[in-house]
Amino acid sequence: MRKYLLILSIVLLLIPSTLGLVSLFYTPYPITQMDLGNRFSGMSTEHLLGTDQFGRDILSRLMVASRYALLLGTVSVTLGLFIGSLIGIISALSKKWISMIFLRFIDGMLAFPGIVLAMMFVVVFGDGIYSTLVAIAIFMIPIFARLTYSLIKEQQHALYIVAAKSIGLSTTRIVWRHYLPVILPRLVTQFSASIGSAILIESALSYLGLGVVPPNASFGLMLKEAQSFMLSYPYLILPSGILLVITVLGLNLMGDTLNDRLMKLGDTND
Amino acid sequence: MKEIIRRIASSIVLIIVVSFVTFFMLMLIPGDAVEISLGTEATPERVTELRAALGMDAPWYTQYMSWFTHALAGDFGVSFTYGENVTTLLLSRLPVTLSLMLMAIVIAVPLALTIGVIAALKQNKTFDIIARTLMQMGDAMPQFWIALIFLVYIAAQIEIFPISGFTPFSESVYGGVMSLFLPAVVLAFGMIATLIRIVRSSMLHSLKQDYMLMTRVSGVHPVRAIIKYPLRDALIAPLTVIGIQISGLISGVIVVESIFSLPGVGRLLFSAVLKRDLFLILGLVSFIVTSVIIITLITDILYILLNKKMRRNES
Repeated sequence: MRKYLLILSIVLLLIPSTLGLVSLFYTPYPITQMDLGNRFSGMSTEHLLGTDQFGRDILSRLMVASRYALLLGTVSVTLGLFIGSLIGIISALSKKWISMIFLRFIDGMLAFPGIVLAMMFVVVFGDGIYSTLVAIAIFMIPIFARLTYSLIKEQQHALYIVAAKSIGLSTTRIVWRHYLPVILPRLVTQFSASIGSAILIESALSYLGLGVVPPNASFGLMLKEAQSFMLSYPYLILPSGILLVITVLGLNLMGDTLNDRLMKLGDTND
Repeated sequence: MKEIIRRIASSIVLIIVVSFVTFFMLMLIPGDAVEISLGTEATPERVTELRAALGMDAPWYTQYMSWFTHALAGDFGVSFTYGENVTTLLLSRLPVTLSLMLMAIVIAVPLALTIGVIAALKQNKTFDIIARTLMQMGDAMPQFWIALIFLVYIAAQIEIFPISGFTPFSESVYGGVMSLFLPAVVLAFGMIATLIRIVRSSMLHSLKQDYMLMTRVSGVHPVRAIIKYPLRDALIAPLTVIGIQISGLISGVIVVESIFSLPGVGRLLFSAVLKRDLFLILGLVSFIVTSVIIITLITDILYILLNKKMRRNES
């Protein structure tokens, strides 16, 4: 059962990543090429997934959208992972009052609902791909900071850490050689699970018109544009929505199976 | 008791920190809020005049202090675009948002409890597998997409649900409930997966405890034993996550209100963001985040109290 889930998640993820990779050098049509005589055409050999309200090729737009979603998700979560775990390490290992300040700061950021934080960011830095990226990264920072903090606190009194301290190793060395190898697997699991939610936030922002802006393509933006025509031509909300669900589902399943494997590894070590 | 006082104190600190961060972030806004609000009428004299009138020529910390002391008294300043007090605007929109959230919780919690409990009792049977599959799907579907699907395939097909807009409860209770029903279901959909997961794992955890074996040995009827211990724990489980869920629920409310054109706080914030209405954004964000902190605090305290009571009962 577990084995099948891993295979399923890989298969699901292969769809958007192949589409995204191929879009780097080939799309059936340019994504902004309009063909007003051929609007709302259904699936055909010319346009495999049909065309949208401007006669643009849906498949080509989906390919570019997959690329943006995966890229934005990965890059923003990576940023969040690095900055967040750095803050987590610092606040776990520094003096009590410094760590108090950091912790309150992290709690403060966690109190912001994701969309609200991102909206404020868009107000300050304007919309577009880069501020979306930064907004999602900022949303991820407190999550990783909290996780790293609690993981380190868990290990702090473990024998190997006390031993490393007693022979006078520097803090930096202890972090690199002793803490990191132990906490890294958990961070990686959280990483893969977070990319899914990052992509969901990106799509919601773009859907609201605050994320990726036209003429670029993104799942959320395509759905926003489809909305005006959805009652007369409901097909438009399906391709981008389904591909978005496939992408996020693949990422979530990947995170879950990684987590399970990790738990099993931990059990055998005990 | 000590723990509770400590929680309250740290929440107060948190509220101050958050209000400061929000204020500071919006101070970074490119362009001048006063110039934006005046639009084409922005002559240098008018800008200086209005800035002085709003107290915006003072250094930022004075501005923050004056804004914060006013906000404590419930006065969040005046919205540029609506020309009304932010508090008045907020209060007029709040009932819609609150009833929407309440309806979503009323739909989601009983459903999640039922599904979660059955899934745990039938672990790895068909029902459990279906429930888990649905949970995964629920986690992977963006709420706005679910909303669009509902609009196209339910609201447009069945006449009783309006496609957009809101009928005030004062006008017609039936109309009000109907106009909020689909948005509430969409919101409930967004939170139900997490709830089921928590109920299910709480049940599984309690079912494996030694005292369950004990009840079987001492001949207590299995159904009675389940009602007495694991079910009680499972009923409390959702409470512990409402604090975490509330933040996600608010994110959902903003999106859902925009889709269904409901005149709530979420849509007000969205339009404030589009128009760069500084004081409105500041007031709404502070209000939302403060509510999140206070709700989290309340669930924390309830959890501590319940835990204490349970421990006392057991000993």
